[in-house]
Amino acid sequence: MGMLKHVLLAAALAFSVNASAQVKLTMWSHWAAEKIKRDYVEDAIKRFEAANPGVKIEAQWYEKTALYAALKTALRAGTAPDLFYAEPDQVEYMENGLLLDLSPLNWSAIEPWAKDIWSYKGKPYGMPLEAATVELYYNKKLLTDLGIKVPANLQLDAQGLTDLAKRARAKNITPMSLGVGDRPYPGAYLVHEALLKKLGIQEYDALLKGKLSWSDARVVETLRVVRSWTDAGLLPTTFTTLKLGEAHGYFHTNPGAVTMLVGSWYTSRAFNPPDKGGQPANFPLGIMKFPAMPGAACNECRTLSVGGSYVANAATKHPKQAIAFLNSFANPEAARRWLEGVLVQTGIKADYSKVSGPHAGYFRELGATSAGAKFYFGQPIQVMQGKPKEVFTQVFNNAFPAGTISVEEAVKQMNAAYGKH
Amino acid sequence: MIRSSVDRQPWGAILAFLLPAFTVYTAFTAYPVLRTFWNSFHKVLPRSEEFVGAENYAALAQDELFWRAVRNTFTWACVSPLAEVGIGLALAMALYARVPGMRFFRIAWFTPVLMSYVVVGIIWVWIYNYDWGAANALLRALGLGVLVQAWIGDPKLALPSLIFITTWMWSGFNMVVLLAALHSLPSEVVEAAELDNCGWGAKLWYVIVPLIKPTLLNLLVLSFIGKMKIFDLVWITTKGGPLWSTETVSTYVYKRAFEWTSFDLGYPSTIAAVWFVIVLSAVLTLTWLFRTRERLEY
Repeated sequence: MGMLKHVLLAAALAFSVNASAQVKLTMWSHWAAEKIKRDYVEDAIKRFEAANPGVKIEAQWYEKTALYAALKTALRAGTAPDLFYAEPDQVEYMENGLLLDLSPLNWSAIEPWAKDIWSYKGKPYGMPLEAATVELYYNKKLLTDLGIKVPANLQLDAQGLTDLAKRARAKNITPMSLGVGDRPYPGAYLVHEALLKKLGIQEYDALLKGKLSWSDARVVETLRVVRSWTDAGLLPTTFTTLKLGEAHGYFHTNPGAVTMLVGSWYTSRAFNPPDKGGQPANFPLGIMKFPAMPGAACNECRTLSVGGSYVANAATKHPKQAIAFLNSFANPEAARRWLEGVLVQTGIKADYSKVSGPHAGYFRELGATSAGAKFYFGQPIQVMQGKPKEVFTQVFNNAFPAGTISVEEAVKQMNAAYGKH
Repeated sequence: MIRSSVDRQPWGAILAFLLPAFTVYTAFTAYPVLRTFWNSFHKVLPRSEEFVGAENYAALAQDELFWRAVRNTFTWACVSPLAEVGIGLALAMALYARVPGMRFFRIAWFTPVLMSYVVVGIIWVWIYNYDWGAANALLRALGLGVLVQAWIGDPKLALPSLIFITTWMWSGFNMVVLLAALHSLPSEVVEAAELDNCGWGAKLWYVIVPLIKPTLLNLLVLSFIGKMKIFDLVWITTKGGPLWSTETVSTYVYKRAFEWTSFDLGYPSTIAAVWFVIVLSAVLTLTWLFRTRERLEY
């Protein structure tokens, strides 16, 4: 009898351990092609699984477009994963009650602005892992060859960018690598950063929310400045079909461009090994601020957006474990690992001065471009919804910088999108 | 007794044979179509469904982007069939006349249709590349550098450039079908025309085309329907841009269903329902216009 008791007890224990090991969380994430970020998240999963032996996380990696389409179908059908990648502009998830309220997270470890961006009706819904500024990267050697010196405040003026474009074109070099072949936003960087500086945060916000007309003289003047840049041949001739990944190679490898205007997540591709699409070893990378606009209200203003984040499915059967996993990111140590590994800003509170490792110098340069900056939180396509967003994308991501639409027509299209004539 | 046993229908066997096909048709064709019409009168969200009457239809009537997509799609559907069938007929005539190297040309001209739109789209994005694409490289090599263009980057050229791709892709298919039709022509009629000293042009126009008219019309209608539904090529190459110049109804439905920040399937269903009616009406009209009143006898 005693023997049987022991056997039954052992079996019961084995069953209970086995049962707790049965908790499996599924996760779908972007960044299939961004090894640095993927490595970071996979490492975080391993750490979490080691600390929580009863939980297993099964991650699937996608490219963003495919992920979004798959999620829309899966969420509707009730077959979505427990955790998934999302960005704060996807308000439809919150509107339809598809995300788990993440109030239990350790929000004291998260930047308040990042929490605000992910808040809907007073509750936070996303773990803001990635944050990014729009940066003007440049090839130090090419810039020197053109005889251009970056000012001490790291900011050319608008005419300076035109001169850069003309000098580069005279030497048959592309002044700025930028492509919109597979993304709805890179082409619009030129316009929205210029408008933000010209108008200042409040007026710019009013413009994006349809409370200020696109016919405003300051807006028109700014668009004319941007047009003068593109007329000077600033962008690649392949601008409309060049994909984001290709634009990286276009900048640092072939054929090589003087500058590249891109989110500070540039590093997640460029700091891969060269044979995996990264920039060449010893590439003379520099960072400067977006050019100052004439008569600007706020030349120190710049966009800071929350990008890649993780959310939990409201229908998950394991909400505690899902929240626990997301909470494993909410601490300074996870932030430090992100900064040192991914080299992009994060919504988690971090001490940027303590970043060490081979790319610590990069972070000092990146920090210098934001010194004294005032931030507007969110790109236009994260702030706009519906038709204005669609029109903004078509007009300012593509047609306007490509030079196929005039300033007047662009203004008319935007006003019409907001129902203003 | 004998009569009743002969007349008795084997209902069990009939049902057994019909049921699988009927089930598949109901589940995958009839139900989705009916459901789309149902959805078009509702706001369809993941956890709720709200009847909105004709609200979606009223919004669609005012939707400039939809009408732009309709214009682009109709342009494509009207231009492409004429180009594809016309070129297909010319190629078929060339093979029918046994041009030198006809075996090679038959394979070469037919090959594009064997590729998927995805592959074709990627290839043509390369061909249309401004800097190093074959189209502009050829123009530069011929000393026609002034004609170099951003073929799919310019709103004025993007749609014609995509129409060119589908024409390239499908002309070979039309060629093969028409070649088969040409080979099935009664040789005595063609020979009689030749005995009457009928030239190639006259023989084509007065003898061959009337004889293969049913095939031509079927090809035109098939091509028309195909272009009214076109999606893949646009998605791979331009995603409807620049400035909606290549937006088709199919790409617009997809964008509204999966890319706009909304889960509502009601409005996209309205677009699909309206377009279904338009395509069906167009096909019925074409069929009525092209109906053959009298049978050719030979």
